[in-house]
Amino acid sequence: MACSASGCQSNCYRNEEDDREAPTPPTQTTPSSSSGEPTPIANGNHSHGLCLKCKANRPISSSSSGSGDDARFCGDCFRSNLFGKFRLAVTSNAMISPTDRVLVAFSGGPSSRVALQFVHEMQHKAQQNFDASRDRSLPVFGVGVAFIDESAVFPVPSCEAAEGIEGMRLIVSNLALPTKELLVVPIESVFSSESSNEKNQLSKLLDAVTDATGKEDLLVHLRMLSLQKTAAENGYNRLVLGSCTSRIASHVLSATVKGKGYSLPADIQYVDARWNVPVVLPLRDCHAEELNMLCHLDGFGSLKTIELIKSPCSGINSLVSSFVKLLQEENPSRQSTIVRTAGKLTPFHFNRIPEIIDSNVPLATRRRQKRYNLKANESISSESFCPVCNSPLSRSDLVGTRNAGSSCKLSDLFSAACCSSCQFQILPKDPTSVENFYTHFPQLLVSRAKQNKSENLNLLRAQIQDCLLSDSEDET
Amino acid sequence: MEKEGDAKPKNTAPRLCCVCNHRRPALKRPKTLDQICRECFYEVFEEEIHQVIVENQLFKPGERVAIGASGGKDSTVLAYVLSKLNRQHQYGLDLFLLSIDEGITGYRDDSLETVKRNEIQYGLPLKVVSYKDLYGWTMDEIVKIIGLKNNCTFCGVFRRQALDRGAAMLKVDKVATGHNADDIAETVLLNILRGDIARLSRCTAITTGEDGPIPRCKPFKFHLLQIPNCILTYAYFKRLDYFSTECIYSPNAYRGFAREFIKDLERIRPRAILDIIKSGEDFRISTTTKMPEQGTCERCGYISSQKWCKACVLLEGLNRGLPKLGIGRSRGLNIERKKDVKENNLTESIESKQCGTLDF
Amino acid sequence: MQLTLEFGGGLELLCESKKIHKVNVETQKGVEKLTMKDLLTWVRTNLIKERPEMFMKGDTVRPGVLVLVNDCDWELSGQLNTTLEEKDVVVFISTLHGG
Repeated sequence: MACSASGCQSNCYRNEEDDREAPTPPTQTTPSSSSGEPTPIANGNHSHGLCLKCKANRPISSSSSGSGDDARFCGDCFRSNLFGKFRLAVTSNAMISPTDRVLVAFSGGPSSRVALQFVHEMQHKAQQNFDASRDRSLPVFGVGVAFIDESAVFPVPSCEAAEGIEGMRLIVSNLALPTKELLVVPIESVFSSESSNEKNQLSKLLDAVTDATGKEDLLVHLRMLSLQKTAAENGYNRLVLGSCTSRIASHVLSATVKGKGYSLPADIQYVDARWNVPVVLPLRDCHAEELNMLCHLDGFGSLKTIELIKSPCSGINSLVSSFVKLLQEENPSRQSTIVRTAGKLTPFHFNRIPEIIDSNVPLATRRRQKRYNLKANESISSESFCPVCNSPLSRSDLVGTRNAGSSCKLSDLFSAACCSSCQFQILPKDPTSVENFYTHFPQLLVSRAKQNKSENLNLLRAQIQDCLLSDSEDET
Repeated sequence: MEKEGDAKPKNTAPRLCCVCNHRRPALKRPKTLDQICRECFYEVFEEEIHQVIVENQLFKPGERVAIGASGGKDSTVLAYVLSKLNRQHQYGLDLFLLSIDEGITGYRDDSLETVKRNEIQYGLPLKVVSYKDLYGWTMDEIVKIIGLKNNCTFCGVFRRQALDRGAAMLKVDKVATGHNADDIAETVLLNILRGDIARLSRCTAITTGEDGPIPRCKPFKFHLLQIPNCILTYAYFKRLDYFSTECIYSPNAYRGFAREFIKDLERIRPRAILDIIKSGEDFRISTTTKMPEQGTCERCGYISSQKWCKACVLLEGLNRGLPKLGIGRSRGLNIERKKDVKENNLTESIESKQCGTLDF
Repeated sequence: MQLTLEFGGGLELLCESKKIHKVNVETQKGVEKLTMKDLLTWVRTNLIKERPEMFMKGDTVRPGVLVLVNDCDWELSGQLNTTLEEKDVVVFISTLHGG
């Protein structure tokens, strides 16, 4: 059979595995069960002009350049297909339990907007079921929204910022019941409790990082820290990120380029529970193009977005994302291939939702979680983490911490225990400025590092006991 | 970098070579950025290769080693340096040049002329194995039939096997290839891009195929091809005779993208190349991932995870006038995702779905 | 100003497959010296016959092109700011092709 999709190299030979998200010729993807009618035989026949699924409405885009399902489905079917991917990710990884309180990280962009919408819809459905059920054994999970305001780093005219935040309030308050709170958190608040001039401390810290990529990545870590802090302080126990396939594909490549092959699998799973508040990625299987399209279709693309991400960045990250964009144009399914390849790397033990052992939680909830959390795949257990980016450390990284000794100096705490990537792109090279640099770190990071270190040392000692002569001999 | 305004640095270079402190520097060493003169550069470069060979125990005394010689700069430098080091450090190796003639007019015939000159220049016996002799087809003939789309599949599969067969004919213990750090980094990226998890897990090793009939090693694994590019500079300064033209049947677009991407990366962060290799070495492939099992081809006896090896399948297709026979299974728009089971047949690739929802 | 330019590693294909070019480059009026920056512009206009993007990216050579001025890496002489003199030899070699 020939193939009509552009970019197809030759005779495609597919099985159903491919049909889930690739721009396949319509003849193969037609779900025969959904309709009694004979499926259209014509190959790639968009001229029939009907949605492949419902065969009632027009597809939303007739061009073959669409990278996802948008080329074949009508608006409604496209939307329900996308929601289906979201729901499958949530349920099959036990991301959300009825007793949970879920915080959606919201940037104002399309991915997190869709994440918010879908989480909301799921909650709404749960509420309806709850109202209708007799025993009310499954409570409805709670939802909150957090916006991390980075205007301290990327200045925005204050009127624009106020307008944007007002827009977000409107979005959140316009969502149907149950009511959700919107938390607007300035990024510099990660420094709270220790300094009166948080903004100043943030800019001092960022200014001290000379590498452009390192600066960007440090900001990403700080963002995660402040999301974690916000979630914990407001009683949430899940953090939902809108990371989509395209975003994750870029991360796979940039982590590879930064030499983080060991820790990479930790970042790209559906669940990342290395944090106090476990992070979940329900849009992991959705493409950026699909999410943009959905926003566009639903009209919630009219949402006022605040441009927080500095566009002309020069570092590795921007090089990678333009490379990924190029690949995507050449072959629309490339991003999925990248994520799937990386998905075959062994995940870590924390890449699943921790079991609920609290006996106060209703049994129905616990049983339900257990049913979906049964992923008995093998995993790596790693006990030590980079004090800056919280990446799990490989054994060879750990050996570097050997010389750290037991001193309490901040520089020992960090320089010796960091992953090689942070060491290169974030920590200062000049030894004289090292100690000063660490004083700019948020207390949160420092205390985590201290805690890690004692654990690392014990672990390390256990691991390399055979090779160690004695501390004193080793130092000389 | 010094900004010397209107000084004439060429003639009045204020500094001297950091090694001999005597001669005028000619380039900066990529790793240390020290200024170094030509003669010291040769020594340092050769010494680095020697160290790699010794530390990784690439060769044992008395071994017969074939150098995969394409006529390009890397393999030419490898042939030159290996034969020099072999004499200088008494490795006791029997060295050979092994070239593959794919049968590409205007490309391989010209580069083979270069290799033939190298044979005389370095005094190394040369063996040329041709696709025509091994398979009965030249690449020119194959391209005539299948066009420019999948020809790289044929060429790649045939070359891998041809190199092994040539090595077997030479009765060598090992094949050394001129792959440098950039090539390996590129391979890591390409294997991610096309989902080839089996190759991803082994492509960074300095010696591969130790369980197979003839292991291969890459003495230039740690050599960055950056600016200034050691291997190229060495070839240029030594006036080594090498050939430099891209294959006329141009490779996949994304390979070109990947190469360009690596060059750009190298410019803003030279260590990125070695970091990619480090990542490749640190990747741990989940054991639930299905890996092809090694067996032998029933038809030609070559290692294969299938009844027939890939080359035989492709060849059968060509001979039966169905050239797409072998490509259909593992190639196509999204089929790269199944590359981990690439040489498996269709039923097996459906079975591999058992990974559940974590696998798309 | 008389200069010898050498193209290698496949770059010669961009200038009619001729490897060595003996050229005479005029400096701009009122300016005495010629820098590599000026030379690159001149080469692009006068010698490169096809696919200039294989040779240049932005205002400098494309990554992966080795530049030697009188057999000395141009990194040592100030890259684009290198001042050229009568009878200098400039070599451009691409690393992108062939292995």
